[in-house]
Amino acid sequence: MVSEKVTLVNPQGLHMRPAGMFASAMGKFSCDVTVVTPDKEVNGKSPMALMAAGIPCGTEVEVRCDGADEAEALASAVELIKSGLGE
Amino acid sequence: MYSMYEGVNASEGIGIGKAVLAVEPDLSFEPHAVEDAAAEKARYQQALDVFCKKTEAQAERMKVTVGENEAEIMSGHIMLAQDPGLVDGINTAIDGGSCAEKALVDTSTMFENMFLSMDDEMFRLRAADIADIRTGILAELLGKDVVDLSVLPAGSIVVVHDLTPSMTATIDKENVAGVVTEVGGRTSHSAIIARALEIPAVLSVPNACGALLNGATVIVDGINGHVINDPDEEMLEDYQKRADAFAEEKHALEAYRGKPTVTADGDKKTLACNIGNPDDAKTAVDHDCEAIGLFRSEFLFMDAKELPSEDEQFEAYRKVATTLKGAPVIIRTLDVGGDKEIPYLKLQKEDNPFMGYRAVRYCLDNADEYKVQLRALLRASAFGDIKIMVPLVTCVEELRQVKELVETCKKELAEEGRKFNENIEVGIMMETAAAANIADILAKEADFFSIGTNDLTGYTMASDRGNDKVAYLYSWYYPAVLRAIKNIIVNGVKEGIMVGMCGEAAADPLLTPLLLSWGMEEFSVSAPSVLKTRKAISQWSKADADALEAKVMQLDTADEVKAALMEAAR
Repeated sequence: MVSEKVTLVNPQGLHMRPAGMFASAMGKFSCDVTVVTPDKEVNGKSPMALMAAGIPCGTEVEVRCDGADEAEALASAVELIKSGLGE
Repeated sequence: MYSMYEGVNASEGIGIGKAVLAVEPDLSFEPHAVEDAAAEKARYQQALDVFCKKTEAQAERMKVTVGENEAEIMSGHIMLAQDPGLVDGINTAIDGGSCAEKALVDTSTMFENMFLSMDDEMFRLRAADIADIRTGILAELLGKDVVDLSVLPAGSIVVVHDLTPSMTATIDKENVAGVVTEVGGRTSHSAIIARALEIPAVLSVPNACGALLNGATVIVDGINGHVINDPDEEMLEDYQKRADAFAEEKHALEAYRGKPTVTADGDKKTLACNIGNPDDAKTAVDHDCEAIGLFRSEFLFMDAKELPSEDEQFEAYRKVATTLKGAPVIIRTLDVGGDKEIPYLKLQKEDNPFMGYRAVRYCLDNADEYKVQLRALLRASAFGDIKIMVPLVTCVEELRQVKELVETCKKELAEEGRKFNENIEVGIMMETAAAANIADILAKEADFFSIGTNDLTGYTMASDRGNDKVAYLYSWYYPAVLRAIKNIIVNGVKEGIMVGMCGEAAADPLLTPLLLSWGMEEFSVSAPSVLKTRKAISQWSKADADALEAKVMQLDTADEVKAALMEAAR
């Protein structure tokens, strides 16, 4: 398992579009992806769970990847979040 | 004895027919303990697969019967149903001993409640989607059929608790005269789909399924939001007349779809739309507009937490330019201040914001911020006919300064090797009394004028339409406002520049002959007003318009003006 902490910079937080984008990018990897906030853990491949978590801008989240392509998945996840998920 | 119920007028038109109660199937079940979790998961997976297949087929049908956008709602359902978070939750619940039905209901309800608790309309819509897929999958698990509206007798008034997207996918459109629901507002799926299908609809009628009887004669007045059960002869006749008049008017307007905008004597005009965000551009094109006469760029700034970057702005402007496929797109630069507050700009509260630090005044004072927008506009101009419109100009100095900044940006972009339209037009939103008075001076240096009648009326009459005590003065029928408009158009025409109007007055058919008489070229209106305005323009020849103008411009009061225009209305 690998993990890294990264701060969410999207102005609206993890809203519909960025959540969908993140989940679909993670869906391409075979490893499990979990997004951990100070008070919950959600499936990083689920747009619904990510949206329902309602993570606001400025939250530091920990991304955990566990599986064959975990390193690659984590790098991709961190890069995506830092870049503001297309926003 | 008839009875009348009130609801939300969600889709225009009047439908008269026989009530068909679409009662949803009984999806209650007895939760039972599960021994073989793997088999139960497989049972759920099978129901899910069937649901997704059916939904996909519905989406395909919907593309044809309703429209692409509405079909996407159905495709979205498949994505939601297959969401790993939902599937995981359900599998975990089954592992914990729940049956598939209970696992589905518990897990989906948890997500639904999370979405419902969020303070955001879009999330609440997702909650409705989740409820809809729950019904669909649950029906599969229980082997029941969901409401089937695919075969209906002619002239049916569909009465249902909620019109779900899956119901509308199969709805027998030809035979539905109207829709009544117990829940939903103007932005609900039911409303959107009813409007797309052009079926009169009244939503949120409490206990409609209990009050309206199967087979009863029902009138759905989607204009006023009334539902009448068991109307008497007189009422039926009255509503039939109204329904005919509505259909006739609509039909008559359809004749103007896809047609050029021309006056009675063949003079070509431009019919444009006002939009507030890039997605509106498609709606505008669907409503048959020929150009965008006003794209308010504020949404980019108001929806953000900080100034949007050049790239973000560029993307939004480019999207509109490409949607219009080369037709003109007038984009108004940031119109901050007045009633439009953008928190992160940290503007000081002013005693008199409408006379204060706003629009071009703010932008010129913050030239570095303004240049970001101008550069984005220039870059987008490589993808279509983008024109820059400057709001709240009161003197020619402001226009000169903006044009100078545009030239600086052009130089920078050229040095960076970026493409843009060298000859991009820079025009003025004519909305102050000052600008109207010096229209002759401004016309020599502006590439176009677009009259913002909302502010022009307010500034000219010194009247705030939001203030009940003085709102009576806020009217463009006052000679002061008409003279201001005339001065702007006549001076623009004299200098050979394009003059348009993007305020609400552009869609007022009473004003059309005056605007045509003065030589206005472009009418920019809201999307639903396109055909109506095209029709109004087609009713007047130059000679007729001139004759009416000569008469009206001699009148002294707003009441006299309005009466004369109404008398001459076509």
